[in-house]
Amino acid sequence: MPMPDASTPVAADHESLRDALVRGNATLARIGPILAHLMATPDHSLFSDEIIARIRGMCHHLAWQVLRAQAEAAGQAGREAFAERHGAALAEHMLATPGLLAHCHALALEWQLTERLETQYGIDPVLSPLVQELIASEDSGLASSAMASLTAQARFAQAQRRMELPLAELPGDIFHDLLMNWRAYSGQLRSDAMIRAEAKLRNAFDEGAGRIALMSRVIASMGGEGRRALDIDHGGAAFYLTALATRTGQSRVAAVLSTNHEQTARLALGLRGAGLDSAEVERQVLRIDPKAVPAREIAEMPPEAARQILSESASAGVV
Amino acid sequence: MASVESRYIATAKADAEGRLIEADEVLARLQQACGGTIGSRIAIPELLALVEKAQRYGLRLARQFEAVDGENRVTAWVEIAPQSSDEDADSGSTIDVVSWHSEGLPPENDIEAARRRVEINRHLADCTARLDSSQRLLSIDTQAPDLAEFADAALANVGRPWTDLVSLPGNSHQQPLHWRLLDGTKCTVEGSSRSWTAHLEPLGQPQPGSAGFVLYLTADSPLSAGLTNEEATGPDGPSFGRDLTPVLRQPINRIIANAETIRTKLAGPLADEYSSYAADIATAAQHLLALIDDLSDLEVVESDDFATAPDRIELADVARRACGILGVRAREKGITLVAPPEGESQLAIAEFRRVLQILLNLVGNAIRYSPEESQVWIRLDRIGNRALITVADQGHGLEDAQKEQVFEKFERLGRSGDGGSGLGLYISRRIARAMDGDLTVESAPGLGARFTLSVPAADEMREIPR
Repeated sequence: MPMPDASTPVAADHESLRDALVRGNATLARIGPILAHLMATPDHSLFSDEIIARIRGMCHHLAWQVLRAQAEAAGQAGREAFAERHGAALAEHMLATPGLLAHCHALALEWQLTERLETQYGIDPVLSPLVQELIASEDSGLASSAMASLTAQARFAQAQRRMELPLAELPGDIFHDLLMNWRAYSGQLRSDAMIRAEAKLRNAFDEGAGRIALMSRVIASMGGEGRRALDIDHGGAAFYLTALATRTGQSRVAAVLSTNHEQTARLALGLRGAGLDSAEVERQVLRIDPKAVPAREIAEMPPEAARQILSESASAGVV
Repeated sequence: MASVESRYIATAKADAEGRLIEADEVLARLQQACGGTIGSRIAIPELLALVEKAQRYGLRLARQFEAVDGENRVTAWVEIAPQSSDEDADSGSTIDVVSWHSEGLPPENDIEAARRRVEINRHLADCTARLDSSQRLLSIDTQAPDLAEFADAALANVGRPWTDLVSLPGNSHQQPLHWRLLDGTKCTVEGSSRSWTAHLEPLGQPQPGSAGFVLYLTADSPLSAGLTNEEATGPDGPSFGRDLTPVLRQPINRIIANAETIRTKLAGPLADEYSSYAADIATAAQHLLALIDDLSDLEVVESDDFATAPDRIELADVARRACGILGVRAREKGITLVAPPEGESQLAIAEFRRVLQILLNLVGNAIRYSPEESQVWIRLDRIGNRALITVADQGHGLEDAQKEQVFEKFERLGRSGDGGSGLGLYISRRIARAMDGDLTVESAPGLGARFTLSVPAADEMREIPR
């Protein structure tokens, strides 16, 4: 734009400074509520630094994998460099997706629980008594899927220690959302290479080979026996959470969140809904959180009623 | 990635529209229990949602689904793989069942069952009425066309018990009875041929019915089902034009071809009488073929959805084309066809193919019924916004009574054995009228006949020539 006189640049400078202040104010305005929330929350187990770092790590890794596939399809030299260059921006973009964020959050919490159980009770993160028993099962189908889930759990442990999350481990819906998100991020720049890369990623995807699907499949194959996974010492955290989710119709994210010690009622209801008797429910709740006050109300409650209450609270948008 | 050794309990295939094309035992039985069949859309709600999701995403999914087959709750783990090939974006998917558990449903509690029954009645009812606590009508609402009459009658009788407005079989009691006795009774309604079931939903607490009732009338059959049954008897029979014509054409063409071969002695010398028999066979077969064409045309023009595709056409072109096609036949009889002179033009709005069909019929008739060494003229004209094309001959002409008769179906005016079906003029007039035109005849005995086709005239030729 032509500058007719000398005063305009000065005015423009002022304007841009004011804009910067307005943007700054918006950020500062958020400090209060966040800080107040953090200070008021008695514990930070749901968003401790560790959890936040893990979520960030997983999102970066996801972004990096997508970009690497893109660079590969484009035949670009220096694929790593390409992924490094754009990784942070795409990861930021992905962090804005609630579904993915919730999934990563739940994984981080699950891993934290797994590690805690190992230190407190010596429960192996990968090889629980239940898994050992299933691998030796006479039902060869069940034995083989138990074996596959063991491998998948070992992979998960490794990935969590590296704060990574392989694309293949995502549930189908989240994987789809992520690809759509990547499209949106690329916008007009969507090239043939990206279309090729996306098709390749979609073709390679097999939800049934992911850890969560494999575990759900084992629990489903066990039928009524699946209840045995609800003893956390016997099943281990991963199977415990999977059985809790599948047997109560909750999402796995909701099942993971219910193990937080602020969510004792949710956990008790879930266990009751999954078919445990009240003594078992109490034992399991105390095992997860020794300081918890067991909810007596659920003793007489039929499992259907417990599931009903849970599903109502889920539809109210809590989880 | 570790692969799982999987023995599938059952496999199935679904097509791109979510229809279950094939399925093994357990799935097929569940599909039936849910009200579907092999070949129909997947009737298992959660499975359908999974299949559709897998196809939409283009991803292999592995999930659990639950269903109820009437007596048992089924929980199954399935793997769904969309089958996408490059040329065909979505060509269905395979469904592999990995595990399958079924357990008896717990007995339903009575309150739940009652609530669900009310829900079902509410959704299925064709007629809803509000009653007061003595079952007297307060208001009525219906969308069903066969209940309109009933609703009008009922509205004129607001305040009367609803049982006075419908016919209850075996109605000898003082009505209305207690609502529990009336709930679920069959009844018939004036103006509707369907049989109806009445359901009463009591309102008010603590005494049910203290605040009145909602009356639901539910029909035993949907209204449309009756109509489709009637329709089914019509067009569902074998259709001559659609089904038989192609089948008949082939053998008849073969008869004609072989008879022509014999007639022209292509396969070797032959006595002349045999050659002329063969000529008769060929002529008869040609007649048969023409008859079949006429009959299938008849079916087309008589169907309700017959429509032509109007376009701007040049009638002079059509006339010359007809003369060209029938020129040989005319010369065989020594008849001269006089086409519109070169340079003459008349534009019209009609379908070229259909106008040509009519003209071939008219000129063909003229050749057939004109004396030898005579002339047949084709003239163009315009009166107001009508474009006219006239075929005039020097034949015997028609009596006044015959002028309308010739357009009747199967009308031969007492002739036989000349290769006509009696359908040509009938079909031609039907086509003419379908093009917003008409076909008329002027004639007097001994003075020949003039058949005139009139169609809407057009003023200018389209910018881009055909």
